[in-house]
Amino acid sequence: MNYDLNKFSELQQRTSILAALKRLLALIAHERKNLWLALIAILINSTVNLLGPLLIGRAIDKYVIPGNYHGVLVYSGILLAMYLCGLVASYLQTKLMGGVGQRMLYTLRNAIFNKLQQLPVAFFNQNKAGDLISRVNNDTDKINTFFSQSLMQFVGSIAIMTGAGILLLCINLKLGAATLAPAALAWLFTKIVSPWVKRKNATNLKSVGGMSAEIQESLNNFKVIIAFNRRDYFRKRFDSANKDNYVTAIKAGIANNIFLPVYGLLSGVAQLVVLAYGIYLISISTPDTKDAFTIGSLIIYLSYANNFYNPLRQLASLWASFQTAMAGWDRISQILSLETNLVTVKEQVIESSDSLLEFRNVHFAYPGGNEILHNINFKLERGKTYALVGPTGGGKTTTASLIARLYDPTKGTVFLDGKDIRSYQPDERSQKVGFILQEPFLFTGTVKENILYGNEIYRDFSNEELEDALKKASLWSLLAIFEHGLETKVSSSGDSISLGQKQLIAFMRAVLRNPEILILDEATANIDTITEQLLSDILKKLPESTTRVIIAHRLNTIENADEIYFVNSGEVIRAGSLEDAIARLLHGKRVS
Amino acid sequence: MVNKTKRYDKNPGIFGLLKPYRGLVIMLIVFALFSNAINLWLPRIIAHGIDAYTAGNFNFKPTITQFMLAVLCIFVFAYLQSIIQTYASELVARDLRTRLSDKISRQSYAYVEFANPSKLLTNLTADVDSIKMFVSQAIVSIVSSLFVIIGASILLLIINWKLALCVIAIIPIIGITFFLVLKKVRVLFKESRAVLDWLNKVINESILGSALIRVINSQQLEYIKFLQANTKAKDFGLSILRLFAGLIPVITFTANMAGLTILALGGHFVINKSLSLGDFAAFNSYLVLLIFPILIIGFMSNVIAQATASYERISSVIDSPELPETGTVTDNLRGDVELKDINVIYGQKPVLKDISFSVKAGSKIAVIGPTAAGKTQLLYLLTGLIKPHSGVVKFDGRPVDYYHSESFHSQVGFVFQDSIIFNMSIRENIAFSDTVTDQSLDKAIDTAELREFIDSLPDKLSTIVSERGSSLSGGQKQRIMLARALAVDPKVLLLDDFTARVDNNTENKILENVQKNYPGLTLISVTQKIASVEQYDQIILLMEGEIVAIGKHDELMHTSTEYVQIFNSQQSTSNYEL
Repeated sequence: MNYDLNKFSELQQRTSILAALKRLLALIAHERKNLWLALIAILINSTVNLLGPLLIGRAIDKYVIPGNYHGVLVYSGILLAMYLCGLVASYLQTKLMGGVGQRMLYTLRNAIFNKLQQLPVAFFNQNKAGDLISRVNNDTDKINTFFSQSLMQFVGSIAIMTGAGILLLCINLKLGAATLAPAALAWLFTKIVSPWVKRKNATNLKSVGGMSAEIQESLNNFKVIIAFNRRDYFRKRFDSANKDNYVTAIKAGIANNIFLPVYGLLSGVAQLVVLAYGIYLISISTPDTKDAFTIGSLIIYLSYANNFYNPLRQLASLWASFQTAMAGWDRISQILSLETNLVTVKEQVIESSDSLLEFRNVHFAYPGGNEILHNINFKLERGKTYALVGPTGGGKTTTASLIARLYDPTKGTVFLDGKDIRSYQPDERSQKVGFILQEPFLFTGTVKENILYGNEIYRDFSNEELEDALKKASLWSLLAIFEHGLETKVSSSGDSISLGQKQLIAFMRAVLRNPEILILDEATANIDTITEQLLSDILKKLPESTTRVIIAHRLNTIENADEIYFVNSGEVIRAGSLEDAIARLLHGKRVS
Repeated sequence: MVNKTKRYDKNPGIFGLLKPYRGLVIMLIVFALFSNAINLWLPRIIAHGIDAYTAGNFNFKPTITQFMLAVLCIFVFAYLQSIIQTYASELVARDLRTRLSDKISRQSYAYVEFANPSKLLTNLTADVDSIKMFVSQAIVSIVSSLFVIIGASILLLIINWKLALCVIAIIPIIGITFFLVLKKVRVLFKESRAVLDWLNKVINESILGSALIRVINSQQLEYIKFLQANTKAKDFGLSILRLFAGLIPVITFTANMAGLTILALGGHFVINKSLSLGDFAAFNSYLVLLIFPILIIGFMSNVIAQATASYERISSVIDSPELPETGTVTDNLRGDVELKDINVIYGQKPVLKDISFSVKAGSKIAVIGPTAAGKTQLLYLLTGLIKPHSGVVKFDGRPVDYYHSESFHSQVGFVFQDSIIFNMSIRENIAFSDTVTDQSLDKAIDTAELREFIDSLPDKLSTIVSERGSSLSGGQKQRIMLARALAVDPKVLLLDDFTARVDNNTENKILENVQKNYPGLTLISVTQKIASVEQYDQIILLMEGEIVAIGKHDELMHTSTEYVQIFNSQQSTSNYEL
């Protein structure tokens, strides 16, 4: 499966976006009650807004012109009562619609995050962290801006416009039609221009993602930039990303800003139409006709036209924000449309097997790459220690990744405890398989939090209880090099603690989880040899049934292995003895 | 408004930022004023038309021409204004980002670590965006809103000052409401910003730690973490919303009350003939014109407040003291290295204590010691990545500060412990320094034993690699990093645990190659493996930031129990001499 978001084919995008749009609406499906209430509030509010000018016009015609001040006061009283209703309705409208928007954003963020959690490692390897972060942060923020700030206005404006439009037509069909004609033009214009506007915004968002990826990469690797005196490298790379962003942003800005002047022009035209046509209507109507068009009607009509075109002008700027939000939504729905390729298959007949793990005719290639592993067959038994040795690039880490099911084989099967590894539920599998990765990762927090990360059993342990548990597992002494022991603060980035210390934490984390098979992928490479001896003692003390798989270059770490596998050029060969393995290591041809 | 003017005085900075763009800003304001002035004129034309009609001397043609002309002018000016607005705001944003990146690129490693890359990322993106918003929206909006408010007020006063005063009375009422509500909103915004940072941190870590999360199957745990932050963010969003839900109706209601006043009072004036019907209609139109700018100013004061906060954050980066380029020496290095009484402190904790030793040009030095002994810091010190709190680092007898950094870095190669691969071609990754020639590139590739690997790739040297991509194994990354350091043809090579991820066979070959291809190189190697450094000229044993022992292998075997202990820990394999 292609997980590279920047290589999304047009086709893949188009088919999934329709579905994605539906999903966007599905996010507010459960808000039906609130939406109805909001709609009622919006209706009341727009009615008040629309009835106001109508009543004022009536008052002018009926009382102001004839000079009946009492009637004016009566109408004023009615208006006051109406405006009070409007006050309440308007409050409810904002609160309810805004609430829907906020909760929708909440659901949306949850959905994205949840999706990110479902996707396999391959997805994260194929996309730059900076770009992903930009998608999750910046693009949701564009949707957020629309929903938290514009949605209410959007709905409110449309409601007022609809009401005003209907009234315009009711009062005088011909004049109404003439008044609304420019709006039809606006609609046509919007329809034609919108895809272009959205495209410009999408390009801009993409360049924002690119820039964020550039910053992320350069700043996180700043020490290399300094050590090689390539400060200009950062500047140059950033400058080109910055320039790209500048150009696309101007294009997007010009596109976004096209609506307002055009809508303004059309609303001006509409006013002119009302004035000219209205005066014409007054001039031809005689006082005794039933639907006489009066000056009062004209004044009301003008304010209805305003009531129609002011929200329309507001819609102009909202529409640009809507297009930006939709472009952001597209980028996000690219992520949402992805599915994990590591599905749990149906459980098969359990083969009685003495081996804990078996590779049977396993082939593997990374997406779009050459085959890394060719027809691998081996069995690992319970309680034994295995070493995988071999030159760099031979396929050791890949083999280990298949055991932990970070990837599935392209061909063949991995059996865990006699069952296809793909038939295990993730939690069951991860309980059985422990894997200390080559690159240790820490979450920002304390050493304690990191050691207990994802550990169900020790999760709620107090420091004392944890101390006991760590002592029992002989891990306690390892904490000595942390300044404040369990409470030492660590962060996910930077050099706050050394690589060796990070590896120690990763080691403790994995051992405390007590897996049935524990894989160490050069997991102690940067730890000094004395501490490493401690670690190998700890490994020896693991329950008898625990299988250990050790990938390492240091011979003393592998000499205790029960069996040694030599991994090179995509083949895994069992070495007869340590001497055999060393002979292979020394004289075997390195192919990478 | 009151709060706004105060803000101007407190932070002249954000307006000072606009100085270089004076021309654009003036143009922007002029266009905005033009289109607004004409906008104000529109109701006059209509009123005039109505009055003319009632008076019986209405003439279609001039009214329509005037009106059409006005509308077209508005269109032209408004569009020109929007283009300049976009251009100006993006220009300010681009220049600000360039200034920021320029500044950051001149900073020390310690500064970037301290300032925190993810915070700098926010400075370069979100903070610049809020200033962009300020330029693109606030300036024009405020100027034209003020203009409309003043203009409309004057026109109202001219038409009928008594009625006008009643209408204008809404301005302070709305202003005060805004002031009170936005004061609360700002506090919430600030707090919600912290929540957003928290949210982003959870997202970032879940992306960077994705492999670990999948091994442990802790997706649910991450989701719960995220849910907490997200719920908090939603709660803040709802609290802010509640304030706005109160604010907007109050303002509309106030405006409606003004409309009511026009009817009641204006009606009275019309009845007693002190106000014409056309003017009465115009009053209604101006009221509509008046409301919107008041709202705009209210919202914009918020944009200004946010932009000011962002600009403060950005300024703290831009105004931070720069690393002066003090060095002038560009001589070729021989390779003598000397450290004298070095102390390095991180926070409260001393990392290196009283370190002194010297290395002769062309010799080989190993630094060994337990995890967290300060070995990596020692190498950082030698490349000038960090500065000692006391003591001096000398190359060829001169303090490292005397050297021009470009000349210095092109003679000192550093292979970092953690693999750092940039998302670009292998060639660009290796020839990272711009002093690299094709010849030195080839030599570096051969020395790092990368030739076969690179030849096996379909695009050879042009293959794009990435740090987290699965295309490279740990050892391959390590060798690319070595080639990167060798490609500058260094006089001094610093290796940080280079041997950790490379198999013995390859390691030996590489070290032989280095000997052969880079004669006279001073090698300082942090390592765990004694076997590969037994023949070195000097071995430094570092423990808890202090030099415990220093000397050749044979000497240390007799003088240092700690060294012997480490040696013994590696002895079990001695019968397979490598």
